[in-house]
This record gives sequence, structure tokens and C-alpha cells, in this order.
Amino acid sequence: MKRNHWYAALFLAPAAICLLVFSYLPLIQDVWLSFHTWNMVSPTMKFVGLQNYQQLCSGTELSKVLFNTLLYVFILIILNFILPYLLSFIMAHGMTSCNFFYRSALFIPSTLSLAVASIIFLWILNPLAGPLHIILSEIGLESPRWFKESGFAIAAIGMIIGWKVFGYNLIVMLAAMVAVPQDLLEAAKLENASKWQIFRHIILPLTSPTALYVFVITVVFGLQYVLVPVNMLTQGGPDQGSTNLVYIIYQYGFIFFQTGKAAAFAVLTIFFYSGFLLLKAVLDKKVHYEN
Amino acid sequence: MKINPRNWPWHLLLWIALLIQLWPLLFMISTSFKTMDQIFQSTLNPIPAIPVLDNYRHVLETLPLAHYILNTLVIAGGITLAKIITSVLAGFAFVYYSFPHKEKIFNALLLTFFIPVTVLIMPNYLIISKLHLLNTPWGVILPELADGMGIFLMRQTMRSIPNTLFEAAKLENANAWTVLTKIVVPLIKPSLFALAIVFFINSWNEYFWPLLVLHDKSSFTLPLALQMFISAEGGSEWGVAMAVAMLTSLPPLVLYLVCQRFIMNTFMQSGVKG
Repeated sequence: MKRNHWYAALFLAPAAICLLVFSYLPLIQDVWLSFHTWNMVSPTMKFVGLQNYQQLCSGTELSKVLFNTLLYVFILIILNFILPYLLSFIMAHGMTSCNFFYRSALFIPSTLSLAVASIIFLWILNPLAGPLHIILSEIGLESPRWFKESGFAIAAIGMIIGWKVFGYNLIVMLAAMVAVPQDLLEAAKLENASKWQIFRHIILPLTSPTALYVFVITVVFGLQYVLVPVNMLTQGGPDQGSTNLVYIIYQYGFIFFQTGKAAAFAVLTIFFYSGFLLLKAVLDKKVHYEN
Repeated sequence: MKINPRNWPWHLLLWIALLIQLWPLLFMISTSFKTMDQIFQSTLNPIPAIPVLDNYRHVLETLPLAHYILNTLVIAGGITLAKIITSVLAGFAFVYYSFPHKEKIFNALLLTFFIPVTVLIMPNYLIISKLHLLNTPWGVILPELADGMGIFLMRQTMRSIPNTLFEAAKLENANAWTVLTKIVVPLIKPSLFALAIVFFINSWNEYFWPLLVLHDKSSFTLPLALQMFISAEGGSEWGVAMAVAMLTSLPPLVLYLVCQRFIMNTFMQSGVKG
């Protein structure tokens, strides 16, 4: 190895070693743990082969977990991808004044802790005395017991994440929308292109790399953010009604102390995410066609 | 504000979005200044009839607040410092040197950004407990030492430094450390500062990993302290809970409001692929 390579390695080492030890090795350890049964305290682990995976597939739990996960993904895509996309388009190409004020103010919730967001919404959604209950009863509606009813729990948690992440995704998307070259738009207008044509043939392709990025982080991070409100407010309930692929790992590992099953779910989650990132890689090739 | 009359429907739409985004915050602020009676009697009124500091006083009396602030500060500061150092060093390696498999190594480091934290919690917890670092700030900080996104952003920033500067330094046989500390770091100071604020806000807000590592109440951070105000019935001390939420949110909020433009640029960069 050249001398220079050694120096490069030296500069890379702190980051590389950390990521190796705390990000890549754990993935391997997950696989290893998933072939064993262990309760985290006993000194010995028992090798059980694929038994953990078999148990995972035999019950109804897995399908519930997967269904809930997809439901979360669906809600998050609407709140944190489609809405920011539309609003950033309007802000960049529909109007010209006071954008800075709007985006600064809309971003504020993104600076707060998810724990804070959870506790604020716990009060707002309180079915007996909370603000939303009062507003709903004024117009003659009854407030659901948000965190105690299946379906509503997922909607409420989706709302919390939506509130927290919306502003961040909006400014990232807006940066891409604003970066669309003005002269291209002017030229299109001179040729009497319709608004739809401008959107379809200029804005959509030119912003697609960022859109793809926002789409990916919406799903990848959204599902992780869900952990905090689920843990603080529902613990996966009612009757596993708000659990999902990432929370169940924590539940099996740290509440039921069944590391084998937790690890099996972790491996499943890795596959889920890998599949998703693979999809991103495929789409990545498509979105760059303009350059 | 000058508003083009043709655009008013868009402005209306944005004001609705603003209302939705800021409404919950308003409740946090106003509830924290209300007495228990006011909280339940004039719930929707954002301005407390007589603002009181009772809730804050109660927090000061019942929680070791200074201790929690210190814990949070040590952890957030430690993570920020560590991430900045590893990101700058790694970013520099990618910009200054050429070595085999550079792209692949870069992608491998960046990919860690997308690995869901939950699949890592169990193995990392086992490592931390084997090292006897549970209940210590180190236990929280260590697994977060490096950050794929930080490396990416630092590489992007350093790429904007003219190559001729590097060439000149190489001709003069300056060693890499001198180039990094004397040329690169002074040039990227603003981005470095902004990235540090972003790291700090994020680690200040962190909840899940600290929750696993810190079991003792005395080692809690502010976001963890919030958990104490949630009871099975949905919590009853709303005023106090909101006061703690306020105190937890204040540092990130102030940092954001003061350094807005800086922070905004960093976040906006993070979405632009290079």
C-alpha cells in the first residue's frame, strides 16, 4: 500500500471503526442471535436453528405487524411526502412573496423532541378534557379514545410523526423546487406550454432526485420515529393494534426478554429495509435521466 | 408583507398549514402557564387569564432539574463533538486523497445512515452492558460517534474548496494535518458551525437510545424526564408536564430561531444529491 493510502486510512479510521462496530457488526450479530434462544441474562444460549422464524410465521402476529407497518407507511407517505411535495411546489412556483417566513415557521415543530411532541398530542387528543375533544363536541362529534382504539392509535401516532417531520421534508423539497432554473421555465412559458406541461416535463423530472430522497427518508425514518410515541403512549396496544416491525423488536428484546424472536424480527426488518433501498437504487437510475 | 391578490388562495392555504403546525405548540406554551382549574375550564383559550409560574415552581421543587439539564448537555455535547470530529476527518480523507475502492467505501459509510436503529439496539445494548457503560453518558454517546450523513455533508462542503489550494499545499510538501487544520477547517467554519448545531439539536432531543441505556433516574436526560408525567390514565398533571416539555424544547427552539438561516441551509443541502 502506498504511503498516501495509509494516511487516508488514518483519517477514515475513527468513523469507519465506529460504524463497523456499532452499525455493521450488529447486523451480523442479529442473524446469529436469531438462531438461538436466550433471555439476555442466562449465561448460556441455546442453538435452535430456524425455530424462531418458524414460530414467527406460524402465529397471526406477523401478519398483524406487517399490516400495521404498511398502514404507517401509507399514512406517512401522505403526510410527509405528498403534502410537502405539493406545498413546496405551490411555494416555489405559485407565489413569490414571504416564502422565508412561511418555511421558517412551518419548520419549528421539526426542532422539537418526539417525546415533547408525544406529550403535547397526548393532551390535545385527550378524549375527556383535551382541546380536540372540546372542538369536536362543539360541532356535535364524539372524540374517539385515540390511543385505546385499534386503528385510531395508528392514525394518532401517524399524526404526531406527520406534525414533527412535515416542516423538515418541506424545506428539503422546497430547496429542489427553487433550484429549477428560471430560464427553462421562461422558455417554456414563451412557447406557451401549459402549467401541466411545465410541471410534467420540467419540474417533475428536475426535482425527482430530491423527491426520491424525501420519499425514502419518509419511510425509513418515519418508521423509526414511530417508536417514540408508540413506546410512550400505547406500548404497541391496544391488543398489538399500534405495533409494527420496528417496535416489536424492542418489545421482544427488552420487555419479553426473548432475544431470539427479537433478532428474527430484526433480520426481517433488515430485509424489509434492504428491499426498500434496492427499490431506491433502481429508481435512482431512472430519476437522473435529465442529466 | 406584500401579497399579490391573485395569490391569496395560496396564502390562505399556507396560513392553514401554519395554524396546524403551530397550534399544538401554542397549547404547550399556554398550558404550562395555567393553573389546574384554568387548564380544564378555559382549555381552548390560548392566553391564560392570570399566567402563573406554579407549574415551573413545582418542576423545580420535585425534579433535580439542573442535574437533568447537565446530563442532557453532556450527552448532546459529547455526541456533537464526536460526530463533528469523525465527519471532518472522514470527509477530508475522501476529498484530499485518492485510494482504491473510494466510491465503494464512501457508499458503505453513507449506507449506515439508512440502517434502522432498532435492528441495532439489541447488539449495541449487549456491547454497552459488557463494557459496563449502562447508566453512563458514554453508553449513550459511543454508538453514535459516527454519522453517515455528517460524512456526506462534510465531503460535499470540502469539495467546494478550490483544488488549486490542495495542489499548492502538496507542492510545498505541507503535511495533511496542517492542510486540514490551517486551510480546510478555517474555510468551512460556517458549515461546520451549522452542522454542529444540527447535531446538537438532534442529540438533545434523543429519546429512545438514552431510554435503553439510562435506567437510573439520576442519569436521565430531559426528554426521558417527560415519561414520568404520563400515567396509565393519560396523565393528570398537565400543567407540570407542559412545563417540563417547555424546558426541554427551549434550547433547540432558541438555537433554531437565532441561527435559522445557517440551519436551514444545512438541512436543505442534506437532500441534494451530489
